[in-house]
Amino acid sequence: MSAAAIETSGLTKRYGPINALQDVSLRVEPGEVFGFLGPNGAGKTTTVRLLLGLIAPTAGSALVLGRRVSPAAAISRREIGHLPGDIAFWPSMTGERTLDFLEHLSGRRAAWRQELLDRLQLARSDLARRVRTYSDGMKQKLGIVQAFQCEPRLVLLDEPTKGLDPLMQLAFYELLLDLNRRGTTIFFSSHVLPEVERVCHRVAMLRGGRLVSIDDVDQFRRSMPRRVLVHFREDLEAADLAAFGRVVASAARRVELLVAAERVPALVSRLATLPLQDLLIEPPRLEDAFLERYR
Amino acid sequence: MSASVILALLGHLWRQHRRPLLVMTAAVTLFEFLTTRLAPAPEEVSWLSGLAALAPPHLVALAGGDVAFTSPGGVIALGYTHPFFLLLLGVWAVRVPSSALAGEIGRGTMDLLAGRPVTRSQLVIATFVGFALGLTLIVFAAWTATAIGLSLRPLGVTGGRFVGVGAMAWLLFASFGAVSVLISATAREAGHAIAWTSGVIATSFVVEYLARVWKPVAGLRPFSPFAYYRPQQIVTSGVAASDVTRLAALMAVAIVAAIVIFRNRDL
Repeated sequence: MSAAAIETSGLTKRYGPINALQDVSLRVEPGEVFGFLGPNGAGKTTTVRLLLGLIAPTAGSALVLGRRVSPAAAISRREIGHLPGDIAFWPSMTGERTLDFLEHLSGRRAAWRQELLDRLQLARSDLARRVRTYSDGMKQKLGIVQAFQCEPRLVLLDEPTKGLDPLMQLAFYELLLDLNRRGTTIFFSSHVLPEVERVCHRVAMLRGGRLVSIDDVDQFRRSMPRRVLVHFREDLEAADLAAFGRVVASAARRVELLVAAERVPALVSRLATLPLQDLLIEPPRLEDAFLERYR
Repeated sequence: MSASVILALLGHLWRQHRRPLLVMTAAVTLFEFLTTRLAPAPEEVSWLSGLAALAPPHLVALAGGDVAFTSPGGVIALGYTHPFFLLLLGVWAVRVPSSALAGEIGRGTMDLLAGRPVTRSQLVIATFVGFALGLTLIVFAAWTATAIGLSLRPLGVTGGRFVGVGAMAWLLFASFGAVSVLISATAREAGHAIAWTSGVIATSFVVEYLARVWKPVAGLRPFSPFAYYRPQQIVTSGVAASDVTRLAALMAVAIVAAIVIFRNRDL
């Protein structure tokens, strides 16, 4: 087995009586896009900060790119790009000066900067302005550029699309996929489910600082029940369909069910014998699983 | 790698503090130059000594003792114990370290620095070096102004006599700067670091002054770094090695403590 890009073992962080993270063990393979999902306060940011050595674990350990994480292990951060959740810059510095300064600190050439600026539509005139004049979206773009510009082997992204408009979000997803095609491992913390579903190979779910699950996104989606919406021409008892799955909602002529994938053909056969007006079978969404697990 | 990181961090400090540094340097230069213009000529000193004899003892103590009024050199040395000079150097000692460590944490920019291949020790060292370089510029400008002033208006004392005064002013505030770095290394907000460091400097000043004029607290004097900064004595009899040792020791201990604490804390 090759060295993992990230490997944690019993990673725990307590702040006094508060358990910010409890006994998190996970392994992220090189070249993987790994989603880290959870509601606010679940421990996502704490995990990212632990992986960077910004905070020390109360218990457990983490290896990043084969090196044990600690505040002193600066060399391992040479190949890591990091986008903090609430990104802040030095307001009186220009965008260009900020990128230059962070490039110097990284110790690697910012070979990818120009392409990133082009794709995120950050013009040279924008970079010449002081950061204090930037909108939240522009600051986020600058944050993405600084995280990616030195072509890191691993990027740790904390809520990366915050403040980006939908078009820029699309451009960002494309960037992520390109970066991943170049071999970069991506650790992606978010509570925006569709974006995780869109770009991640695997997804871990956190709740109250504990790891709830780690799943392959495709397998996960296949294992999820389908949401079936049925509209009849006349009143029917929803209980007639309960044998095929869980009835989520029902009105006089409308029934909404969650049905396991393998039961869908049987349900469709049964529906064919009923006075059906309309039928909608939604593809499974990560959001359903998320809500199911956090409810 | 290490040197380039330190240089990048020093450049960062320079960009943040260059304007106030240049303003402080200009102010100190002007102040020390004016001191040489306003100092009495040797033949006027006796008149000033007589006036000092009539002055309340606590006022004379604030000026550094009788010696401040017995020679032109002593009067010019007043420029190095004057609250204006001390305040400017104190502001510099508080400003740079507080904004560099605690300030970066409070602003949220520390994650961008510490998330890179920069060690915590490098962050502390760069902060102190950046502060110390600025302090060197301010003190050197003060001494240069004194030296130029004395060369334009001979008062029987040369600028060379003030080299020790400048060096000890540098050492005193380098020590306070090191304490400021230590406090900043433990704080999460620049405001807290500024408040604590200002409190330490102000308390040190008050304690040393009170210890000189009020016998019951005279025993506290050695605990104030100001006790080891005596410009008038330096002009007349040179720098005391024990004063250098004590201030240098304070500076070294504070910097080592800052490195140890900052390396082990959560950011």
